[in-house]
Amino acid sequence: MTTDNSGDVRLSGISKTYGAFTAVHPLDLTVPQGSFFALLGASGCGKTTTLRMIAGLEEPSSGSVHLGDQEVTHLPPYKRPVNTVFQSYALFPHLDIFENVAFGLRRRGIKSVKKQVEDMLELVQLGEQARKKPHQLSGGQQQRVAVARALINHPKVLLLDEPLGALDLKLRRQMQLELKRIQTEVGITFVHVTHDQEEAMTMADTVAVMNAGRVEQLGAPSDLYENPQTTFVANFLGTSNLIEAEIDTRSGEDIVLKAGGGKLVLPRTRCSAPGTTGGKVLVGVRPEKITLTHADDAGEIAEGRNRITGKIADSSFIGVSTQYVIDSPVCPEFEVYAQNIDRDARLVPGADVVLHWNPAHTFGLDPAQDIDAGVDAGEEAA
Amino acid sequence: MTFVNWLKRNLVVIAGLATLGYLLLPNVIVTVFSFNKPKGRFNYEWQQFSTDAWQHPCGVAGMCGSLSLSLQIAVWATIGATVLGTMIAFALVRYRFRARGAINSLIFLPMAMPEVVMAASLLTLFLNLGAQLGFYTILIAHIMFCLSFVVTAVKARVMSMDPRLEQAAQDLYAGPVQTFLRVTLPIAAPGIAAGALLAFALSFDDFIITNFNAGSTVTFPMFVWGSAQRGTPVQINVIGTAMFLVAVLFVLASMVIGNRKGRQKA
Repeated sequence: MTTDNSGDVRLSGISKTYGAFTAVHPLDLTVPQGSFFALLGASGCGKTTTLRMIAGLEEPSSGSVHLGDQEVTHLPPYKRPVNTVFQSYALFPHLDIFENVAFGLRRRGIKSVKKQVEDMLELVQLGEQARKKPHQLSGGQQQRVAVARALINHPKVLLLDEPLGALDLKLRRQMQLELKRIQTEVGITFVHVTHDQEEAMTMADTVAVMNAGRVEQLGAPSDLYENPQTTFVANFLGTSNLIEAEIDTRSGEDIVLKAGGGKLVLPRTRCSAPGTTGGKVLVGVRPEKITLTHADDAGEIAEGRNRITGKIADSSFIGVSTQYVIDSPVCPEFEVYAQNIDRDARLVPGADVVLHWNPAHTFGLDPAQDIDAGVDAGEEAA
Repeated sequence: MTFVNWLKRNLVVIAGLATLGYLLLPNVIVTVFSFNKPKGRFNYEWQQFSTDAWQHPCGVAGMCGSLSLSLQIAVWATIGATVLGTMIAFALVRYRFRARGAINSLIFLPMAMPEVVMAASLLTLFLNLGAQLGFYTILIAHIMFCLSFVVTAVKARVMSMDPRLEQAAQDLYAGPVQTFLRVTLPIAAPGIAAGALLAFALSFDDFIITNFNAGSTVTFPMFVWGSAQRGTPVQINVIGTAMFLVAVLFVLASMVIGNRKGRQKA
């Protein structure tokens, strides 16, 4: 039995330059058949250009695009078994919903489209709206028409270009689940471009984080989040506390680091820096992995945990959790998120605290990078 | 005080009605005098009611011939100017080429230039080329001055068009021809229609340029001008009224269609 790979997308060394500007640096990427793949990055990182090269709306400056075993690099868009859900939908304003959805079938010379279109409109719950014009529908409905219009052609690959960008937050969450459901139902390869890291992590099986025309890291959402390989990924996906530290000793599976007088333990497998003794490394830990204990109770902290002392500079209560900013000798703005289960009344701004966490949650990054890479990009996107 | 308040509330309506009255008054006079039975050759004084002219609209020698000629020229000029103008508008919006800026501003020249000047220079051109003045010289001249209006109307529409619509069509298996016929053209249609209507109206009633380049051919505006010096037959008013009614019917029909569409939407 051979596995069906006709929905694979293989990009080999594709790049795109506009004059002196390089939008996408030579890029290799394989999206397996049936997966939900997200290209994540801030605006201008080359993710949309990459998508448009798969669609055929942009010709690559170098490299090739394969769909399954077929090379499509120089095929015009109307000859590719690929359909796109455009940003702001691009529904045809002069055609009603039925004709918008039937457009692709009719262009391929299929005569009896009624049944198929009606079924597709049912799938996206728009059966009642078939004879309306696009501008009479709400944003969420238009979005579903755009999905139906693309899916009805049974493309090998469905490309989604920021499809939820124009919707409000609540509707966006709803449509994320809806799209995920449809993808599971039809089993088509989805390639989704977004700047919203939460959206990418919620929906996709595999996420490629792009920055300045390059893929920074590729992997499952949890893998990217727990094991970022670059400062950009660490800062762009969620928030990370990054501290510069010096390598003290290496003992077995662990690397012991010196940071501001204290010692921190980092598992060797979670360090992407070269890491020679005496060298530098950027130590990272996610804010929600950290436990906050008042300095008076420091004795109760279990042995073997990484610890840092500091003073609470600021705290903001946001319902499910409280976000603290800690001023510590190693880092002036150490972020800690604590679930509001048993709130310690002494943890108010000005209190001395000990921050501690399981060493297994520590990650190490190459110190040659910009420590703030992706911070602004992440904020802008969120 | 109450009157002032009333005036404040209804000022817009009053101003609207006054403008409408000002615009329509000449048409009313033309219509009323189409039912006149004048003494002598001039139809300038009301004598008595009669439908003679309406029963014999072509009763004046040469008038219906000139009318039909004017209509033919207007139709051909509209077709020529609309096809060329639409293509020029698309080229100017969609493509970056040399002299694009120059063409963009030169296209307005026929609108800005005094008609007499253009008429004279066209005549010079035709005479130097040794062209026979008549139907074709008129047609060429009309297409020329209608072009800029069509280009302006279509350009505005094409510029406001989302290029992603055409990309979406291509993505949905429409080749270049299908994309143009199924998406581009229908969306640009209102602009093209507006340009075509303008061209028709401009061509139909043009006098100055036509007069210079007509040779011995006589169009309807030339006929009216010519006859006004010898006496004005009532039939001229009949034709004028009929044209006005046709135009009003067109507007009403488009409003009714628009309303019905609007109601379907609601």
